[in-house]
Amino acid sequence: MSTNKPTGAQLVISTLKALGVDVLFGYPGGAIMPIYDALAGSGLRHILVRHEQGASFAADAYARATGRVGVCMATSGPGATNLVTGIANAYMDSVPMVCITGQVGTSLLGTDGFQEVDLIGMTLPIVKHSWLVRDPAQIPSVIARAFAIAKEGRPGPVIVDIPKDVAASFVEVSDMGELPAYVPPAPDMKAIAAAASMIENAKKPLFYIGGGVHMAEADQELRDLVARTGIPVVSTLKGIGTISTYEDLYLGMLGMHGTRAANIAVNEADLLIAIGARFDDRATGKLSAFAPNAKIVHFDIDPAEINKTRRADVAVIGDLKIALPALNPKIGDLSEWVKFNKDNKWQHRFKYDAPGKGIYAPALLKSLSEKAGEKFIVACDVGQHQMWVAQHCEFTQNRAHLTSGGSGAMGYGLPAGMGAKLALPDHHVVTVSGDGSFMMNIQEMATLRRYGIPLKIVLLDNSSLGLVRQWQELFYEENYSEIDLSDNPDFVEVAKAFGISAFRITLRHEVEGAIDRLLAADGPTLLHVLIDPRENVWPLVPPGASNTEMMEERWDESIDSY
Amino acid sequence: MSQLIRIEIDRLEGTLLRVLGLIERRGFHIDGLELTGIDEDTRLATITVRPRDEKRSIDTLGLQIDRLYGIKRLKGPKTAAAEDQQKISA
Repeated sequence: MSTNKPTGAQLVISTLKALGVDVLFGYPGGAIMPIYDALAGSGLRHILVRHEQGASFAADAYARATGRVGVCMATSGPGATNLVTGIANAYMDSVPMVCITGQVGTSLLGTDGFQEVDLIGMTLPIVKHSWLVRDPAQIPSVIARAFAIAKEGRPGPVIVDIPKDVAASFVEVSDMGELPAYVPPAPDMKAIAAAASMIENAKKPLFYIGGGVHMAEADQELRDLVARTGIPVVSTLKGIGTISTYEDLYLGMLGMHGTRAANIAVNEADLLIAIGARFDDRATGKLSAFAPNAKIVHFDIDPAEINKTRRADVAVIGDLKIALPALNPKIGDLSEWVKFNKDNKWQHRFKYDAPGKGIYAPALLKSLSEKAGEKFIVACDVGQHQMWVAQHCEFTQNRAHLTSGGSGAMGYGLPAGMGAKLALPDHHVVTVSGDGSFMMNIQEMATLRRYGIPLKIVLLDNSSLGLVRQWQELFYEENYSEIDLSDNPDFVEVAKAFGISAFRITLRHEVEGAIDRLLAADGPTLLHVLIDPRENVWPLVPPGASNTEMMEERWDESIDSY
Repeated sequence: MSQLIRIEIDRLEGTLLRVLGLIERRGFHIDGLELTGIDEDTRLATITVRPRDEKRSIDTLGLQIDRLYGIKRLKGPKTAAAEDQQKISA
């Protein structure tokens, strides 16, 4: 046995370095020990999380914030299954991520060995691709291919599962090999011409943009398109930030918790131009009533999204970075349509003068985003606070709104904020969480402390599972079932026990000073905000209803159509 | 209405499972499956599928199969997107 030859594990590390990985998130254990042995002293920066789910969420957010591939690592069995929620999250939101997992030795595979689970089998529906590597010589080429697949076309998570003996064995050949160069599919110029012609003939055209725009790094191309056409824009949850929220033609998010102006626009439009969006049910509401007067032009890199739920009249398949600049319709007079939408936007603007002395979370979040400015990046958890961020925060930059969209995974916020702050240390990265979500990965405060990651945390605490409570109030006859969290621990004391600075506010007049203090703090800091548990997210489209049947905050809180 | 999908599958671990799992997960019954060898690296799978309800689009299923790595679709539903492209070209 020659010691000059590398082991499979050493090839894992050298390949990651060769691919330009600067940080990875993980947790060691039995089957992945050879890889951690090779990691020590390699110069590769590894962040030891306190639960593997934290590693997968942190890698996901690293990828969302930078556009680069996020990397996480875990051992076999429970280590690997703890990654699974994060893998599903990355799959649903098309995030480029590579997970490297240890696996039991090949002779134990299929024998119910200690800490054996069939990770490849259990993740088939939630990965873009996966490998169980049986030949150590293939490790470099497989990992290189995994990175390429994660990133190319519509991005997604890729798993490389490596049995312990494969990682430990010495290898003769060790080369990444040549990867076929990826060329993004060029859109069909005839289809673009057809799209332009439909736009020219439309009286009420509307852009409906999604997360695909920033994933294609076509933000500027989209902003230019909006500027040269003057067509109003609505966004999905994941598309937020692609267009500045200060842009006149931007009407806000559509869908269940969307703005009234956005949902009215979709309802009235005679042409909906979907760009990197997938007609998700939270965006469309009742599908048969969605954009009832509109023809559809659909731009996407993934042909499988065309006609999946709503038939497109014209489809442009390919790279948005090429397609959008090529779209040059001769626009007629849209002034009446634009005025109609701007009037709605003004008439149905959010109001922040809520009665009382208690803290009004929407106003706090708006102020937070304004004070943090262009360097603001928010990592949300899931629930009412997440919808308030989407509705009320101002964004001028893309990749600044990190949120678990398709998956809706509570527990995302803290590890995601951690991943984003490590990726972009000069930004104001703020995790906005709720008291339910925060407890799901609260252990990662130890990781913040260990590495001194100066993440800021705003914890909006209504002592309940607020969004579930809201639905029970509105749709289950106030039959409140298992939503009370009034016995939460003292979050300020908990944070301090982890070594994180923390302070609490309870009254409205404390808000501005607290935000200033939070943003100016040097180290990781938690702001604990007590809010009224009765506060709801408005407006709201009831489940199964059309997006025009929005419930508003009123004295009688009745459903009304516009 | 049943429809035949014919695909070339690389002889790699898990590839067949990926295809069959996807078909069931996306709302289709598998009524028939025939697997034959083409060469050392490739097998030919002929799969008869039937949608569970009328909302399931077989065109979309074909495109979702195309997204998998290690397979090549030879015969199956023509894509609606391709039809659109043809209409535009015509």
